[in-house]
Amino acid sequence: MPPTLRCATSTSRCVRELCKASQSLRSFSTTPRCDQRTTRARRAMWRWLQQQGANLRDPLEGGTNYLGAYNKDGKLLRVMRAERNQESERAVEQSEPKNAERDPDAKQAGVKVPEETVSDRIPFPLNRNFISEPVLSENFREEIWYRIMKLGHSVREVSAELGVEMSRVGAVVRLKEVEFEWKRIGKPLVVPYANAVMSMLPKTDYNPEEKDPKRRRPHESINDLPVHASTAQQIFYPTSESREFSRADAAKVFNERLKPADDRIPHPQLVLQHREKFVERLTDQEIAERAREREAIAEKKQHRAAMIQLSKDAKTKKIESGRWEFRFTDANVDAAGKDGRGHKGVGWRYGVPHYDRNRGLIKIPKTVGA
Amino acid sequence: MVVKIRLARFGRRKAPFYNIVVAQARSARNSKPIEVLGTYDPIPKPPTDGEGKPWKDIKLDTARAKYWLGVGAQPSDPAWRLLSMAGLLVPKYRPGMSAEAGKEELKQ
Repeated sequence: MPPTLRCATSTSRCVRELCKASQSLRSFSTTPRCDQRTTRARRAMWRWLQQQGANLRDPLEGGTNYLGAYNKDGKLLRVMRAERNQESERAVEQSEPKNAERDPDAKQAGVKVPEETVSDRIPFPLNRNFISEPVLSENFREEIWYRIMKLGHSVREVSAELGVEMSRVGAVVRLKEVEFEWKRIGKPLVVPYANAVMSMLPKTDYNPEEKDPKRRRPHESINDLPVHASTAQQIFYPTSESREFSRADAAKVFNERLKPADDRIPHPQLVLQHREKFVERLTDQEIAERAREREAIAEKKQHRAAMIQLSKDAKTKKIESGRWEFRFTDANVDAAGKDGRGHKGVGWRYGVPHYDRNRGLIKIPKTVGA
Repeated sequence: MVVKIRLARFGRRKAPFYNIVVAQARSARNSKPIEVLGTYDPIPKPPTDGEGKPWKDIKLDTARAKYWLGVGAQPSDPAWRLLSMAGLLVPKYRPGMSAEAGKEELKQ
């Protein structure tokens, strides 16, 4: 607590000077301290500033410094937990005499600050459900950009290798490109701001020494099933017991055109690999062979789609105007047939009624394209 | 009677869609034309791969359009704009070009 001023005994001029001197540059209020009453709330505030608040003034290096990581006395909860564990271990060791020869340095060194856990990433202690999730560190983002743009890996591949969602991989590459563009045209970057924010957040670092992708901690869950609007309804669907009812059938019940959940996940190939290894117990060679086969089929499919697109593009004449791109495709007048009312004829047809203004027909769309 | 190449508006309220038609000049806009050369959808569609400009779809029978121009069909201004984009006519109005320069180019 700050020293209280005894204003009553001194002259008014002296008091004014004293007050001026005692007011720090960063005081909370403009009222001179001699006019401030020392209330309970004010005492509590100073107590907080010296205990918990001190941690915010001198933050921890190399990690987050959230309020939720401290107890009421301003001590790090994870340090206290580690101390308790050490003590209990020591108690166990003392009970067993053969382990009595302990390292004498361990006690003197005390407990190092352990790595932060989920419970330390709570910025608002009253809202325990708000957990600050880690963001990608600078070198991780650079690595993603390098793999996509320089090595030419696919987004799916990079996502599976590094444990980052595909949409995030795309966003990282796009933002990196924006950054490079800004550097190129000489637009100033707010690097100090970015550094300050990054130093306050939990981060996922890219560790190039860790070659084994299994041992690397994934940034996030990458194979979550996206919720499709058609699956949001509850359906009671009676089916015979003797019938095999798979996920593909369930998808059909929801919507005729809905793919089964196994195909809708972002990385179906990961599930296949896992199944081949642990359920079918194939050798590594067989797994690699199958992966190659799958890849070949996918490539063929992609190639065919690309060819179709290419032939379509060749038939389309694209003309850029200021705001739009006009795409001209060729039509055939004769496709309308002799009477001009053929099905394949170009344009809005003449003399064919539209039923959309008739009574008793549903005009609002029944489904919305997802 | 003059034969014109012009647009006939179809579609719905706030959802226009045009047929590019060859019709007698004094016939009603949406009456049955001599021939439908193509369509023009003026509502821009978002770019396919998320990049580039929004695009507008035009279907046109170029050979027939050329024929009708050859026999003296007169395009309306909007039709002229579309046909000039397709490369069948010299643009009538171009930003930054004086009327005389345009006329000279037309003569050539």
